[in-house]
Amino acid sequence: MSIEVRELHQHYGATRAVDGVSLALPDDVQVLALIGPSGGGKSTFLRLIGGIETPTSGSIYVDGKKLPTGEEELLKYRKKNGFLFQAFNLFPHLTALENIVLPLVQVHGWSGETAEERAREAVKRFHLEAHLEKRPGQLSGGQQQRIALARAMAHEPALLLLDEPTSALDPEMKAGVLDLIEELCDAGQRIVLSTHEMGFARQSADHVVFLADGQAIEEGSAERVFESPGDPKVRQFLDKVMKW
Amino acid sequence: MKYFVSVAVSIVLASTFCFGFWVVLDHDYNWSAIAPYTGNLISGWGVTLGISLAAMVLSVIVGTVLTIGQLSAHAVPRWLSRAYVELIRGTPLLTQILIGYYLIADAVNWDSRFGVGLVVLSCFSGAYLSEIFRGGVESISKSQWLSARAIGLTEGQTYRFVVIPQAIRRVLPASAGQFANLIKDSSLLFVISVHEFTMQAREANANTYATFEAYLPLILGYFILTFPISLLSRHLEERFSYEH
Repeated sequence: MSIEVRELHQHYGATRAVDGVSLALPDDVQVLALIGPSGGGKSTFLRLIGGIETPTSGSIYVDGKKLPTGEEELLKYRKKNGFLFQAFNLFPHLTALENIVLPLVQVHGWSGETAEERAREAVKRFHLEAHLEKRPGQLSGGQQQRIALARAMAHEPALLLLDEPTSALDPEMKAGVLDLIEELCDAGQRIVLSTHEMGFARQSADHVVFLADGQAIEEGSAERVFESPGDPKVRQFLDKVMKW
Repeated sequence: MKYFVSVAVSIVLASTFCFGFWVVLDHDYNWSAIAPYTGNLISGWGVTLGISLAAMVLSVIVGTVLTIGQLSAHAVPRWLSRAYVELIRGTPLLTQILIGYYLIADAVNWDSRFGVGLVVLSCFSGAYLSEIFRGGVESISKSQWLSARAIGLTEGQTYRFVVIPQAIRRVLPASAGQFANLIKDSSLLFVISVHEFTMQAREANANTYATFEAYLPLILGYFILTFPISLLSRHLEERFSYEH
């Protein structure tokens, strides 16, 4: 995938969540990981790339096309992608199945039958058949995330955006969700994710961007950034989080 | 402490009930005095039932319109709805009924007491309902909006499929309370001589001086109307419950 960002800013009042990021990724990147300290701008950057927020200033190019700023055009762009947040992705009043079917029918215009068939396939792939008729309140956090991932994947998104998908989960559930994401990476899905799972980023991502204080401090191939980080801030961060 | 309070509350309530029963049972009844008015009381009860049902439907419409106004992105409908709600909630219903009938209805030459009563009651109750509805809509968390946005739902679709279905469940108990209030408030319509239940009881009392015999049926009559609402509300609440 090609992602290029020019002088990107996103300010909320006095807070500069993204503060002048410019970068151009190599075209052969399939999985991009955004790493860095909490509050460094990863989530905001991801939301900007995903078209969920519009930037204060600057521009984003995905696959050579500039991201629109009008709400209608942006909606069209969002439809093509899949998005997964840290938690509370699902609608609590709908069953797992209904959660997956809703966007297929209402957003993508599929028939109810086709949508349900696809939802069942998606869920089978993630080994969640037993939970189709349950509401989110009856599922564990890990199961909820996997259903949400199935929903984000059901329409075969051009780009899958994952915002700290395992941060709210306990270690065992984390592993289950990371396994699934890894599977998607192996299957060739294009993914941008923000994560605190350094081991996972190192193993699954081919490119890494380190964000801190709203700025891209370092970027490069995963191997290079993790093996020999150039910036002392990055080195310090990695030393700290990889210690345990 | 908790134990002490619950014992004290039980004693106070039990003695209040006992005193009430004693007063009611100890009275020397003369039901034959009120017997000729039975037909009037029944027809009054029917009027109360009719005006209450119609006002419930109308007040839901008024409340919904006001909620849309209050949540509008434009300042004018927002302020107008806000001003309306504050004005209605800040003045006594009795005053509204009198002004509605003797000033406003008179100015447009509308002489239906039942009609004016119905409209005033609906406008009054609608203002309270809109506050309940607005609270329900605003109680739906931001993460639900974000999720809906991420899967590509439009604002209208988000309301329809995500926000309103969840909000309805949350506003049910308070709305049921408001409906019960509406039934009881309809008793004030006697001031413009709508021949509803309370008006009939007052007339029976005025003609016979059988105060107890005239007014006791009111307790039963109103309770028969309000109790099913509270049962229905509890039933619906259970049916819609999904937050474990």
